[in-house]
Amino acid sequence: MSHSDQNLNLTLRVWRQDGPSDRGRFVDYKVNGISTHMSFLEMLDVLNEQLVAAGEEPVAFDHDCREGICGTCGVMINGQAHGPDNETTTCQLHMRRFKSGQTIVIEPWRANPFPVIKDLAVDRTAFDRIIESGGFVSVNTGQAQDGNCLPIPRQDQESSLDAAACIGCGACVAACKNASAMLFTSAKVSHLAQLPQGDPERSQRVVNMVAQMDEEGFGGCSNTYECEAACPAGVSVEHIARLNREYIKASFCSTAVPATKSK
Amino acid sequence: MSQMELHSDVPGGPLSEKWEKHRNEMKLVSPNNKRRFDIIVVGTGLAGAAAAASLGELGYNVKAFCYQDSPRRAHSIAAQGGINAAKNYPNDGDSVHRLFYDTIKGGDFRAREANVYRLAEVSGSIIDQCVAQGVPFAREYGGLLANRTFGGAQVSRTFYCRGQTGQQLLLGAYSSLMRQVSAGKVKMYPRREMLDLVTVDGMARGIVCRNLKTGEFETHAAHAVLVCTGGYGNAFYLSTNAKGCNVTAAWRCHKRGAFFANPCFTQIHPTCIPVKGDYQSKLTLMSESLRNDGRVWVPKDPNDSRAPQDIPEEDRDYYLERRYPAFGNMVPRDVASRAAKERCDEGYGIGETGMAVYLDFRRAIQEQGEDAIRSKYGNLFHMYQKITDENPYKTPMRIYPAVHYTMGGLWVDYNLESTIPGLFVLGEANFSDHGANRLGASALMQGLADGYFIAPYTVGHHLAGRTIKPVTTAHPRFEETKNEAKDRVDKLLRINGTRTVQSFHRELGQIMWDYCGMARNAQGLNQAIDKIRLIREQFWKQIRIPGSGESFNQQLEMAGRVADFLEFAEVFAQDALTREESCGGHFREEHQTSEGEAERDDENFTHVAAWEHVPNGEAKRHVEPLEFENVELTTRSYK
Amino acid sequence: MSWLTGFLKSTVGRKFVMALTGLFLCFFLVVHLSGNLLLYVGGEAYDKYAHALHSNEEFLMLAETLLFAAFALHIVLAFTTTWENKSARKTGYRKTESKRDDRAFPLLLAPDYTMMVTGLVGMLFLIVHISDFKLEFGWGLEDMTPAQKAGLIVSDGTRLIIYMAGAIALGIHVSHGLASACQTIGFNHPKYTAGIQLVSRIFGVVVALGFSSFPVMAQMYPEWFQFVGTVTTGH
Repeated sequence: MSHSDQNLNLTLRVWRQDGPSDRGRFVDYKVNGISTHMSFLEMLDVLNEQLVAAGEEPVAFDHDCREGICGTCGVMINGQAHGPDNETTTCQLHMRRFKSGQTIVIEPWRANPFPVIKDLAVDRTAFDRIIESGGFVSVNTGQAQDGNCLPIPRQDQESSLDAAACIGCGACVAACKNASAMLFTSAKVSHLAQLPQGDPERSQRVVNMVAQMDEEGFGGCSNTYECEAACPAGVSVEHIARLNREYIKASFCSTAVPATKSK
Repeated sequence: MSQMELHSDVPGGPLSEKWEKHRNEMKLVSPNNKRRFDIIVVGTGLAGAAAAASLGELGYNVKAFCYQDSPRRAHSIAAQGGINAAKNYPNDGDSVHRLFYDTIKGGDFRAREANVYRLAEVSGSIIDQCVAQGVPFAREYGGLLANRTFGGAQVSRTFYCRGQTGQQLLLGAYSSLMRQVSAGKVKMYPRREMLDLVTVDGMARGIVCRNLKTGEFETHAAHAVLVCTGGYGNAFYLSTNAKGCNVTAAWRCHKRGAFFANPCFTQIHPTCIPVKGDYQSKLTLMSESLRNDGRVWVPKDPNDSRAPQDIPEEDRDYYLERRYPAFGNMVPRDVASRAAKERCDEGYGIGETGMAVYLDFRRAIQEQGEDAIRSKYGNLFHMYQKITDENPYKTPMRIYPAVHYTMGGLWVDYNLESTIPGLFVLGEANFSDHGANRLGASALMQGLADGYFIAPYTVGHHLAGRTIKPVTTAHPRFEETKNEAKDRVDKLLRINGTRTVQSFHRELGQIMWDYCGMARNAQGLNQAIDKIRLIREQFWKQIRIPGSGESFNQQLEMAGRVADFLEFAEVFAQDALTREESCGGHFREEHQTSEGEAERDDENFTHVAAWEHVPNGEAKRHVEPLEFENVELTTRSYK
Repeated sequence: MSWLTGFLKSTVGRKFVMALTGLFLCFFLVVHLSGNLLLYVGGEAYDKYAHALHSNEEFLMLAETLLFAAFALHIVLAFTTTWENKSARKTGYRKTESKRDDRAFPLLLAPDYTMMVTGLVGMLFLIVHISDFKLEFGWGLEDMTPAQKAGLIVSDGTRLIIYMAGAIALGIHVSHGLASACQTIGFNHPKYTAGIQLVSRIFGVVVALGFSSFPVMAQMYPEWFQFVGTVTTGH
């Protein structure tokens, strides 16, 4: 093995909250003998096994694919969304990034539109409503022409895919001092704005999605770019600028007016 | 109980005309009547999201359910490499028939001809549909769609979006789904787990689900139920599936009368990151597409202690290229997996555990340059480095096979309808198209084919062609079924034993891997059955689930799933035991050639085994004979 | 909702207005600083500039109205958006740490995190500044040329502190503000973005050094700011 197998003894300062109406508090737990090869979530599994054995309720946290693509997992680790590594989800973070004896503060994503369900699990359905408001191309099944009828310059397709890579985890909101969802919203706007398929609805889309984003109660963007640094999919703030352009153009040069749905 | 006949309802006529003929003959629901029908779709992966969106577009009232917090998170999202379609854009001789043949052959002649042909037929439309939705498929410099090669094929027919094709396809289906949510035609129920199927007069009429956020039990009624809940690979505990993937919905349908077909057909994917320690919670796949440029090898000397990059060419055994010169590193998954196991069992495995082989990009990097490799596989290399702390541009990857996909599933006829009328099963949850082994880039194809282009027709046929009496959740069957589901949950909570869910799941997984994994034999399978029964008994005595059922309780969710895996695993082993042949992913050590290749028994096993649940008894095996009118059954050879 | 109210109610629309007013104010800073630098050329040059400026009443009124409107809009929007942004997260974090590896300052001091503080300091400075130069409140500057007035004010000991604080605060403010405004109006391009960032930072330094140079120099070289008699006699 190129790296030594080490065991860590850690103190975990974990946010515990019984339910949405509970006030919540931090509780300290000790975990010992954590292998550096473990993923962060496997370390939490160990903690939970320990808690269940002691008859306590395990720490609730969302997770699913554990390979960084589904976007389900995500917690603040020592004040950083998904922990210290760039382009990494919590499930991809490995314990080799920590030192024995360290205290790790673990908190849920915090934003009014992301209410805590329990402990570290939050409700991110606000993101679904933003997509619902316009993050699609209105094409019914069966209507499509041959895929090669629309040549798309490779660089446009690549750049569009850069935006479409968003996994919807919410780290951008969590890391933003304003709890802004601009990176998330702009990723979808930018993905579709760069493709001919997305063109017919581009104005209405951006106007609706921004209106819905605001309706959900996310803050505005003040260009601190913490979202980009926290984004596990490497989505760039370039897409926020594109959203801004699209929005200004749609507002002043098109007939689009916002239509929002309340929560 | 008498032997029930399984009617596949494959239409007559020549293979290439069956689907069209069937479409012409199926009953239609007139546009203004569609809104009178309610349809439940469980699962929002490629199959589920595509079906829910398409049915909503047609005008039906759809209710879609998923256990995840958002439909966008279904595990289809993790598919990396690509999606097949017989477009023949590269002009390399591809055709619908070739895709059909490759899929049938890849499945080791254990799939239904007509279904597979239909899959190949609609494959092109899938690409068109996805492009129209804005899926950013890879393009050539001229702006047209690019293709790459995948295992088991000699043509380039795989469309892709870097190493995240599944994600992009799912987000496309998800966006269509959300569009229907916004149009009011689909109502979305996230964080819901289907715990039972409600049948009224033998027809599927609704579901019982638990709201995972609040713990409430809900009942929903409909005129048709579509189960699109994926595969059961997590019976092995360690697999490439997401942690939440489970067999519960399918298993509950099975217990209500749906037959379970070919459960033993499980795909072990050859290129996964090897297991590190006993804390490991899941295995990560490295896309098959890597074998386009990566070469698999082990040192010729089992005691070679040099670092892999220091071992010269002449001391390396590129065993796939050696054994299968025609396909080389691109042999199908089952073949590649067994070959890796064979090398490791012979002592040539690398690393501390000896349970790994190298996947080497040195030559590709030399020939194409690091940038070219990065643009093709960048995110996969990044993922590998994250997990292993090794740089695959410099050091070869270490890989080992892992449980990946399950070809078996609920038995369905040509209409994708199970043995329970009104219960349709789509995608990985059914058994229909991949036989005993699935080719790479075909799962996405099947999920979307079922969801976009097959179920919307066949579900309509069911709605228009049958007398479906009005039923609401006030019908006593709903309350009854709900109470049964609730009792099961309450029972789990009452045990208050000493062991955690995870410990049982791990134990089951170990048994499955040891006895029902890449190589199986009668003795081991019999042992497995005994052991599974024993753990199941212990589970219901010793499980401990803290907390209550009236709130968000992840241990409780897992416990319910593991309880069903423990029942399902026995049928899995039974199926493996009774299939006295080797085919595709099912390798019985008793049935192999002198060269260690799988040996099929076409005379006795050219059939689908479909298991019927017998309350308080052993499951009953039925067969659906497979008739091959258009292809000749040959011994699969990739040499 | 009309399109315009919709636009102005949206977070993106309001930031657009902030960006435009901010860019206009940046432009004003450039003009203002260029004019002020004439002090180093000599009292005469400065006076000529001042007279030219004041000789066109209509232009001056228009400019001052625009400036006032821009400041007012910028400030009102700053307060409302900051308030809304703060209230988008009712429960805060126990700990926060940046993940940007290009940050030169800790978050507590970073320009983008301290826009409200630097803006407020700038605003307080502005009140003093208008009171000094526009209202000439409490100075007794009758019968003095513009250069003499300026020389007197910037040589004052308390103004050293106030003007330096104001200049540095504004410098920090625009070092983020300029680039941020470009991003907000959508001006971001792989070819130019790095340049915009750099220009923005340099601009911040120029504003801070340029404006604070006057009170500092007045302390270090008082004779430079003794413009007595220069207007009438010349050199």
